[in-house]
Amino acid sequence: MKKKAKGLSTDFLYKLFIYVALITLAVSIIVPVGWVFLASIKENAEFYGSPWSLPKGIHFENFIEAFRDANMGDYLINSIMVTGLALLILLIVALPAAYVLSRFHFKGSRFIHSFVKAGLFINVSYIVVPIFLMLLDWDTGLRAMMGDGFFLNNRVILALIYASTALPFTIYLLSSYFETLPSDFEEAASIDGAGYFKTMFSVMLPMARPSIIIVVLFNFLLFWNEYILALTLMPGEHKTLPVGLLNLMAAERAAANYGPMYAGMVIVMLPTLILFIAVQKRLTQGMTVGGLKG
Amino acid sequence: MVNKKWSRRFFIGVCITPALLLLTLFMVVPTVQVFRMSLYSWGGFSNNQEFVGLNNFILLWDDMNFIRSFQNSIVLIVFVALATIIIALFFAYLLTNAKVKGSSFFRIIFYIPNILSIVVIAGIFSAIYDPESGLLNNVFGMFSLENLEQKWLGNQKIVIYSVAGALVWQAIGYYMVMYMSSMASVPKSYYEAASLEGAGKMRQFFSITLPLIWTNIRTTLTFYIISTINLSFLLVEAMTGGGPDGSTEVFLSYMYDQAYTNSTFGYGMAIGVVVFIFSFVLAAIVNRITKRDVLEY
Amino acid sequence: MMKSKNLLLTISFVLFSLVLVACSGGDETTSSKESEGKSDADGKTTLHIAALESAYGSDMWTKITDAYEAANENVEIELTIEKNLEEIVRPNMQAGEYPDVFLLATGRPEALTETLIKEDGLENITDIFDKNVYGEDVTVSDKLLEGFTDTLATNPYGEGDTYLAPMFYSPTGLFYNAGLLEEKGWEVPTTWEEMWELGDLAAEEGISLFTYPTTGYFDTVVGSMLYASGGTDFYNHTMTYEDGVWESEEATRVLETIAKLADYTHPNTVANANPNDFTKNQQLVLDNEALFMPNGTWVVGEMAEAPRAENFEWGMMPIPAFEDGEDRYAFTFFEQIWIPAAASNKDAAEDFITFMYSDEAVSIFLESGAIQPVQGITDLLEGENKMYYSIYDEGVLPAMGTFASTEPVPGVSMGDTLYGAIDSVMSGNLSYEDWQKNIEEASDKLRPAMN
Repeated sequence: MKKKAKGLSTDFLYKLFIYVALITLAVSIIVPVGWVFLASIKENAEFYGSPWSLPKGIHFENFIEAFRDANMGDYLINSIMVTGLALLILLIVALPAAYVLSRFHFKGSRFIHSFVKAGLFINVSYIVVPIFLMLLDWDTGLRAMMGDGFFLNNRVILALIYASTALPFTIYLLSSYFETLPSDFEEAASIDGAGYFKTMFSVMLPMARPSIIIVVLFNFLLFWNEYILALTLMPGEHKTLPVGLLNLMAAERAAANYGPMYAGMVIVMLPTLILFIAVQKRLTQGMTVGGLKG
Repeated sequence: MVNKKWSRRFFIGVCITPALLLLTLFMVVPTVQVFRMSLYSWGGFSNNQEFVGLNNFILLWDDMNFIRSFQNSIVLIVFVALATIIIALFFAYLLTNAKVKGSSFFRIIFYIPNILSIVVIAGIFSAIYDPESGLLNNVFGMFSLENLEQKWLGNQKIVIYSVAGALVWQAIGYYMVMYMSSMASVPKSYYEAASLEGAGKMRQFFSITLPLIWTNIRTTLTFYIISTINLSFLLVEAMTGGGPDGSTEVFLSYMYDQAYTNSTFGYGMAIGVVVFIFSFVLAAIVNRITKRDVLEY
Repeated sequence: MMKSKNLLLTISFVLFSLVLVACSGGDETTSSKESEGKSDADGKTTLHIAALESAYGSDMWTKITDAYEAANENVEIELTIEKNLEEIVRPNMQAGEYPDVFLLATGRPEALTETLIKEDGLENITDIFDKNVYGEDVTVSDKLLEGFTDTLATNPYGEGDTYLAPMFYSPTGLFYNAGLLEEKGWEVPTTWEEMWELGDLAAEEGISLFTYPTTGYFDTVVGSMLYASGGTDFYNHTMTYEDGVWESEEATRVLETIAKLADYTHPNTVANANPNDFTKNQQLVLDNEALFMPNGTWVVGEMAEAPRAENFEWGMMPIPAFEDGEDRYAFTFFEQIWIPAAASNKDAAEDFITFMYSDEAVSIFLESGAIQPVQGITDLLEGENKMYYSIYDEGVLPAMGTFASTEPVPGVSMGDTLYGAIDSVMSGNLSYEDWQKNIEEASDKLRPAMN
């Protein structure tokens, strides 16, 4: 009897320990994130007191100010366009490449594999200036020929560059997924007389859906939150949301007007939260099947 | 058969050429430019670029500020990688192996920091670290642990760990989900067998889980190196501005400082080259020394 | 099969881009140097003005634009006014599109103005000062307050040629709660000796003597102290990196005093001295937790909505003197207006700058609280502003200037070594001897690079 009681209590302690650990981490995440949401509806005077106090009223005018005065609405549309287009380009380019690299062995395939892997080490933060100077050169060339630039301030080009910089990671992730698929399907398709293109489109790509969802989510976050490239390559009117947020933060901090600043943060944060909640189930599934095997 | 061979070649070509072209154009060419510009002295605006050979690199050798940013970056990489691995493995193990109520709730919550913009994270953490009204010092005060209270962003000996803390906070969820997925594929029967032999939870973790997901952990080590270099720059820019007095200056923030604020663009690019080579070599070394025989299950 | 068509489209697009790279590789040097003036159909010159939107707001610039367009019908103005002007304008400038006139001071973190000075990218505007103010019969130099075009802040290469014209000036000093000092019966200190005594008194009440928003605010403090310690010539020697100047007795006295200030500085200061949190340090003064902070008149507007102690009332004093009876200085901060060398309408730009000193422009700026350095301006001021700007009427001397411009030197920054390091001095991680050694070293490295 005695022994059993002791067993129960260690088990209980173990469970208690687990829940304390889990809840501590959860609280350390929920409280600060919730705080940004609360701060976004606070009135300016409330920011000088304790930042942890609850808002005294609901001030939605912070959002109105962010949308109207800081153009966050336009930036939102730009961000949606650039992110959407970049994801489209990325999938169109990366899927076939990953498929071929993982399922076909040909002259140079090993080299290309390591070439793509080496691309993982190229950090956007230090190639942004050369990219800018390159586009600038093309624009200057174009101006001489047609009198107008094309490459800078162009949302399509920005999307293309986003897609390019995401290629190494995406191909890496997709091809490690394709490698795990059994070859029976291709053989079956081949016996049915399907060509390479048909096999890829009708057999392999549909099977890759779980890892495509991962790729879309990861890269959505990447593109949506990116600001160094957007800042440099879009000096004109088509700013994206994070750049707009930075401007807004600089402006509101200089004016010590904090409400709209947090409202801006919420505007940037909300779409990612919604998308994440929507696909979070697939995320863990996809990671399980896609795995990241070195 | 010739036809078949050609159609195979055509297929391969069509599939990989766009990717290779984009990679070359927007990744390789700019990188080559970084290397090329590192050999020049150029302010960034005018057209007088002067070739100075390896002079920028020689100057780097004596630049104490660069050496400090180097040290800071290494501290961050090591600390963030170790802390994240330990915490992420711990929670991944709990959520896969202990029967926890609401495990999917915790999984979702833990992942949230990873989807936030780094600008938002900087805002959150400067409020957490505030010496007077910050959450951290208030929590210590609540438990009468006043001697643990710190000037988290003011004490130059610990501020780099405060930055690391924010980076770990945002990374845990991502790596946890990754480790969870490989833990899930470890067959349950292994644990049952070990349990019958009387092995405790700790034993089971170290002798079954860890060896079986080792490949996965190794892969993530490379990710830690790359992402810490990049994210520490973005976070430091938004949160501390490299201060106090440069004690949170990291590789890339120092590179930007030199390329723009100090108008020595070529020198900045030389720093970029060193960072690139360093991260590459470090990843190769880590990859080498963590090599174990792969255990299949 | 639709998708493979898309693929082909992408490929051909990328190929097309590659052809463009090949075509445009060779002409790097031709990019930015087109300097013919742009005029539109009705013969009007379009003048592109780029101005930093500071605490004074953007309204005054739209009003100035309207006023100038009304006064000069040959000109149409395109105005870019932004709070992060550098980020907006820099890429356009690299693309060869330069604004014609810039209102952007030196000393900003992005250092765009400094970069252009280092790169010889500014137009020499010495002749502007002999021109008449637009629409008036006085020359610009007759209208300007004395001393404003004599320093390295307007003549960066030190040769008497002016490249930047002075705008909006503001005295700086140590800001404090006058109400608190009155309530406690404490005298406003005039020497450092009195300062330390007050510091000890305040410490007994749990109040720190000193705080600072960020180390950047020390440029005016150190400047005033160098003037007070060694006079104008000495100051200019330090600003032109003369050999051994930082190890001189006068400089040692300045650095030692700042190091001693560390004992009297509010403990939270360093933690908050970053661009994110500096208002928390300013709040310390409003909450009676610290007595003095270096600042400019803009702080009043910056903290307008912040809560404050009862009977709070802003006060400003010059930096204390080293010995009783010695001179006291208050650094004058001013912004600069300038013309990029690559601008396309330089003549029109010069006319516009002269207009900045006209009675009409001065009163438009004044409405928004921006004070132009012109004769008789203090008579136009009211209220708090009158108090701040009359600081010089009471025997306090104005200090002005900045470091001489140099060619860029990799890894060496006077700002970081002299001001940035103050965080370390305050936290006790850097002794003033080491600090002094570092400054002298930086000065040695910059001397040969002066242009």
